[in-house]
Order: sequence, then structure tokens, then C-alpha cells
Amino acid sequence: MATIIHITLKGIFRDRVFQGIMVLAVLFLFIPSAASLSMRQMTELTTTLSLSLISFIMLLLAVFLGATSIWKDIERRYTFSVLSLPISRTTYLWGRFFGIALFMLMTTVFLGAMALIAIKAATFGYPPSRPVVWSTIIVTILFDALKYILVVAVAMLLATVSTSFFLPVFGAISVFLAGTATQPVYDYLQTPSVQAAVSVIVRKAAETLYYLLPNLSGFDLKVHAIYSIPFNVQGLILTSIYFAGYTLIILSIGSFLFAWREMK
Amino acid sequence: MSVLQRPVTALLVGLLAYGVVLGPFTAYMKQKPIEEKFGYLPSINVLRYVSVDHKELVGASLVMKVIMYFGGVAEKQQANVIVQPPDYARMSGILHGAVQLDPYNMDAYYFAQSFLTWEVKQYQMANNLLDYGMKYRTWDWMLPFFAGFNSAYFLKDYKQAAEYFKRAGEINGNELNISLAGRYMQASGQTELAIAYLGAMEKSERNQAVKKNYQIRLKAFNEVRRIELARDRYKNTEGVLPVTLDTLVRSGLLSPPPSDPYGGQFFLEPDGKVATTSKFTFAGAGNVSTPKVSK
Amino acid sequence: MNAIEISGLCKQFKGKRRTCVDALKNLDLQIEAGEVFGFLGPNGAGKSTTIKLVMGLLRPTSGTAIIMGVDSTLAESRRKVGFLPENPAFYDYLSAEEYVAFVGSQFKMDTALLKRRSDEVIKQLDLWEARKRPMRSYSKGMIQRVGLAQALVHDPDVYILDEPMSGLDPIGRALVKDIILDLKKRGKCVFFSTHITDDVEKVCDRVGVIVKGSLVAIDRVENILRSGLEGYLVHLQLSDADAGTFAGLQAVRRTGTVSEFYVPSSVFNAFMGAVNTSGKEVVLVETKRRDLEDFFLSLVTSSAQESR
Repeated sequence: MATIIHITLKGIFRDRVFQGIMVLAVLFLFIPSAASLSMRQMTELTTTLSLSLISFIMLLLAVFLGATSIWKDIERRYTFSVLSLPISRTTYLWGRFFGIALFMLMTTVFLGAMALIAIKAATFGYPPSRPVVWSTIIVTILFDALKYILVVAVAMLLATVSTSFFLPVFGAISVFLAGTATQPVYDYLQTPSVQAAVSVIVRKAAETLYYLLPNLSGFDLKVHAIYSIPFNVQGLILTSIYFAGYTLIILSIGSFLFAWREMK
Repeated sequence: MSVLQRPVTALLVGLLAYGVVLGPFTAYMKQKPIEEKFGYLPSINVLRYVSVDHKELVGASLVMKVIMYFGGVAEKQQANVIVQPPDYARMSGILHGAVQLDPYNMDAYYFAQSFLTWEVKQYQMANNLLDYGMKYRTWDWMLPFFAGFNSAYFLKDYKQAAEYFKRAGEINGNELNISLAGRYMQASGQTELAIAYLGAMEKSERNQAVKKNYQIRLKAFNEVRRIELARDRYKNTEGVLPVTLDTLVRSGLLSPPPSDPYGGQFFLEPDGKVATTSKFTFAGAGNVSTPKVSK
Repeated sequence: MNAIEISGLCKQFKGKRRTCVDALKNLDLQIEAGEVFGFLGPNGAGKSTTIKLVMGLLRPTSGTAIIMGVDSTLAESRRKVGFLPENPAFYDYLSAEEYVAFVGSQFKMDTALLKRRSDEVIKQLDLWEARKRPMRSYSKGMIQRVGLAQALVHDPDVYILDEPMSGLDPIGRALVKDIILDLKKRGKCVFFSTHITDDVEKVCDRVGVIVKGSLVAIDRVENILRSGLEGYLVHLQLSDADAGTFAGLQAVRRTGTVSEFYVPSSVFNAFMGAVNTSGKEVVLVETKRRDLEDFFLSLVTSSAQESR
């Protein structure tokens, strides 16, 4: 599996899509000037902009890498040569996944370092109302990475059954959008007034979706990083376990489907 | 030649069209009614779901939009260009939306406070917003400080004000707030309270348009304070309140004569209270107290 | 032990509107270790389907394929196999050297050995100059040669090559033939598909012909060549006087002092006996037979007629 991870990383670094997306990192240079427009929360705004930029780049990378890696291998008929080696399809799929996940973590470290520099620079320009807690920002960026790694897993699952590029790309985006909305919708449906108004079937359906779709709201810790609000450590541990469990399930289903798939 | 003829012709036609329209288009965009520049904003419930994991960013950009809009209008006002007063109702609505997306956004509260009170005179609305913010920004002494000021200065609810100031004092450990509560809790201390408040606001403000706003108001209140001091000295020596400001100027108690940075004229009300014809706004004695929404 | 054992292998594809297409019907095939087997058939006959089933790329509808005693549905079955896919494509962002190294590492080759073998096969397939360039800059023939290099690098016992000659120029084709003959000499099993009979005739021990998903013939190449024997062309040195006939047979051609006689196999012995007694000089004896191409074409046409 290590060699699959290795060539996956090589492939991403030599890919033009990746290079194009990483050009977006140049936007970090504009963050300080954009943040100076703020009335008095320059540091907070720098943090917001940095974290959002990281999120945005990671979303693009997750969707395109996750959706295209397997799809491209099938489309360009690389699978014939690779899957006829003495490796199982599960090994191949997981190797691909871990390669991309590792890449996402490396990107996180790179973008995170840029964000920290931008935020540090902002604190010189205008001291924040609360001291910046660096560990909080780092943990936030890390959980952001976990969220997008989960999106990668979802995109790969869709790519294992799809013959076209559309299902994995748009499917992953849809799951991402839905995944960030399940928690507010679920909370909304739990309010007494709604419970009275909405039929049981709709509520049950929403509840099923809530447990079926990934709950990505839990990974969004930006507000903690921006305003230096302490974490609920127990919550973070639960989120990590949730991430591991959900990813494992998605990948297992993915390997099952991929093993079943015929390479015509 | 023949191969390039068509693309070159197309390019020339395109450039011509672009060149012709560029000037008028820019002019059109520039003179567009300022209210249109807010553009369409989806309801906050829609934004909440659309902004996915960028709620803080969307919140911040809403605040930014309002500040920039206000900055544009304020600059024109200060440059004595006649414009409609800013659409305060819309600004308030957007800021309320922004804090629903990001209840921690400091700018939203600070900025809403700055215009909801003096300009719009929606004191209770301002305090409700500040109360909402206090639930989240538990470390921020400025919010109860604002609320305390609003309660004392505008709403004259001294009991409530004392509670807010106490809370602010507890958060920042600064005696100022506690003493504010004690010292200015009567009508006579109003001007000093306003000066203390405006001074604190002006000092910590970074946005130039808003800062200028505070500076002008601070200047006006310093003038009021100067008149009040002269008035009190006059009363001490003469035993009666002066009738006009001229009396104070001529008696040498008020030198140089006061000037209203808003362009109005100071005068003394029958009970001795200092007032100005500008009512502390650029729009002057006109119709400024209620925000006008352009039809 | 047989290198490849295919029994009762069937493959159906779901076509449009719920129809089923039989791509492969009940194939039984045993290929011995050390044997070069040519799998011959026209385009769309089921050659690639068979190979993909054997390589575990497709799932059989029924039946089994076993390589070196391991079922082809298991990854382990491919451990001793060097595989060249039809019109191969490899990660185009890698260079030939990197790809061959990647394949070698999948076969758990020792690093030093891998480096040595990789250099060997890359040189052998004339890719040395291009070895460090990404494969997206390669021509079709070069990709085909990379395909052969990666199949050879780990020196497996079984080679499964899908159309190994396609996309190659005459020099490349000759090179591939040499490589297969060399593998044969070293006792390796080679199973390759082709639709070009000439390839088979030169290098194969046995040949199977597949038409429309069914194996229609399987035999040793020499048996086919022998069974196709029809007669001989005997060149005799004869004087002008008796140039026209000999032993009751009419000469088919005369050039200079040499007459050519077409002798059917049945009378060859009697004819040569007569030559022997007459003391005439034999210049040349040619065998007259149908070649593999004719054999192949006759099988394809006959099965086409059957199905009609």
C-alpha cells in the first residue's frame, strides 16, 4: 500500500489541477489588506479570511482529487495495468485514499503555516481584543482537514460505482452541502413548534438523513479559533472518533463496491 | 491575411464596443442610487445554509458591506455634498443578520451601537442587540459599557445602567466603569458621561469614517461642556442663569466663542440646558430623527 | 502442474434493453508450464474477455480460471504473472523507470535486484534514452514497450500478453518475437493473444482459435501445419527429351534444365522410388500445404456459416 500512496502523492504533485488550485494560495497575500478594512477586529478578520481560504482550497482539492483519482484511473485505463498487479482492489483503493489524505494533511500544514504567518502579521498591525490562542487555531485547521478528508472518502465511494465524472464531483459537493446543513435542520426539527407542525414521516426522513449523511458541522471550529473560545475537549474526542468511524464505513463500502466492479 | 481577417475583425469590433460603452457604463455605475449598491441580499435563513462552513466569513462580509456603505455616505456628508441620510433601517437589518451568522462579530455590535443610538434613536433596539452579543462575547466589557451608556444617557434608566456598568467593571477590572456608574448617574453629569464614552470610542476606532464621526461628535460635546462650565461660573457669580450665550461671551467667561462642528448655532434653553440648532447632525435642524427609506 | 487452467469459463455482459451478450461460452483450456500458447481469433471474438477474466479484472459468470494453482479472483494468483494489457496505458506522469520500479515493488522485489533488472529490461526494450521522461511524452510504440518491460521486470513464470505486437513497427515486432522465443528457451509459460497468424506460426507451441466466444480449435502448431500438407513440388534435372512427363506426372513448369512436378502426398513415395531407380538428380523438394492463415480463415468462415 505504501507504494500506491507514494505514486498517488507523485501524481498529485505533478498534476496541473493541483498546481492551479494551489495558485489560490497566493490570495493569502491579499488577506492583510482586506482585513485592514475591519473596524477593530483586524486579527479576527484575518483569522476568518485565512480559515475560509484554507477551507475553500481544501474543498476544491477534496472534490477534485477524491472524485477524479479513481475515475481517471478507470477512464484512462490505468486500472488494467495496476489492478492486474498482485494487489487487491481494497489495497489499491485504500492506498489511493491514504495518499490523498496524506496530501491533504501536507497541504493543511503548508496552508496552515501561511495562515499563522498572516495572523501573526495582523497582530502586529492591530492588537486583537483577546490574545490569539495558537493551539486553538492549529486544532481548528486540523479538524478542517479531517472534514475534507471525509469528503474525499465520500467522493471516492461515489467514484467506485460511477462511470462518469459527474456523479463523484457533484455528488461530493452535494453531500458536503447537505453535511454542513444536517445539524441546523435537525435542531430546527427538534423545536416544539415544528414538532407540532411537521408530519412524523417528514421528521423521520430528516432524522434518517441526519444519521446517514456525514455531520460536518461538528468539524467546524472556526468560531473558536477566531475569537479564542476554549474547546470542549470531550467534544473534540467524540468528533475524532466520529470521523474515524464514518470514514472507515465509507471506505469499506467503497472497497466492497470497487471489488465487485468489472473493469471492462 | 485571409486566415487572420475574421478574428482580427471580430477583435476590433469587440474593442470598439468595449471602448464605447466603458465610459458611460462606469458613469452609470457611479451614479446608481446608493441604496441599490447594497444589492439583493438573500434572507438570513437562506444565507445560513448557503454559507456552509463560511458563516464567519459571510457574517464579516455583511458587516463590511454596511461599513463601506456608511463610509461612502458619511464622507459625502462631511464634504457638504447633499445626499440622502444613510439607510439606517437597512443597515440595522443587515447587522442583525450578520450576528445571527456569527454572534461573536465585534464590528457588528460596535457599529450598530454607533448609529442606532445617536442617529436613529432606537435605544432599546441597540440594547437588545447588545444583550444578545453579551451572551456570546462574555469577555467583552465594551458591550455592557455601551448598554450602560445607552441606559443612562438616552433611556435615563439609571438602575439598569448601574447594572451594566457593574458588569463591564467586573469583566475588565477597571474602576472607570464602576465610577461612571456613580459619578454620572444624574442629569447634570450627562455631558461628561458622553465625553467619556465618546473619548473611549474614538480612541479604539480604526475605521477612518467612523473615527471621524466620533471626533466630530466629541468636539461638539467638548464645546457643550465648555459652555456648561461658563454657564455654571456665571450662575455662581451672578446668582442667575444667563439668558443667551452672548452674555457669556461678552462677560469673558466663554472665549473663544463656541462653534458647532455640525454647522449649527449653540443656544441656551430656558432651563439653562445647552442645545444646538444642528441637533448634533449634519442634516441640521431638518428631519433627521427618523431614518428615511427612499421610495 | 498446468500454468493456467481454465474450466467451464463463461462470461455474459448485460447489453441494452435487458439483453445478454455471451462474450465467452464455456471455455476449457489448459496451458502447461513452459509452453508458448497462441490465442488466435478475429476482433471481438472474446480473446481480451478471456484474458481479463484470467487476470481478475472481470468476474466470471460461471466457471473458474486458475493460475499456478491459485484462483484468479484472488490477488495472490497474479504474483507469478507478467501481464501486458491490450493497448496499455500507464500513469502518464511517471517515467518508464519509475513505473517499472513501481511494478517491481508490487512484486516485492529486492531493491538492488529491482534496479539491475529494471535497467536490463529498459535497455532490452530500447527505452534507455527516454527512461527519465514522463510517459505522457511517449509514442504508442514506446508505451507498448514499457508494457513489455513492466511484464518482464520481475522475471515471472507465466506471461499473459494481450496483443503484444500491436502498435509496434517491424523492428519492434521482431524484438517481441525474440523475447518470446527467449522466454520459451528459459522454460517460461507464455499465453498471448493475437489476430495475426504469422506471429503464432513463428513462436508458438500450441494454438487455440476462438471465434464468437467459443474455442473452435486447439492443437499443436506442427500438427496444424502437418495436417494442412497437400503434396510436394519436386524439381528434377531432366534433359529436354523427357522434360514433359515423369512417372506418369505432367511437369507444371520448366526453367532451364529443371522441370517441376506437383506430387500429391499419396503418390510421393512411388514417385521418389521412380526417381531413385532412374538415377535423375533432385534439385529441390518443396512442401505444398495450407498455412496457418488458411487454417484460421477456414475455421472462422465455417463457424460463421454454422451460426447462419
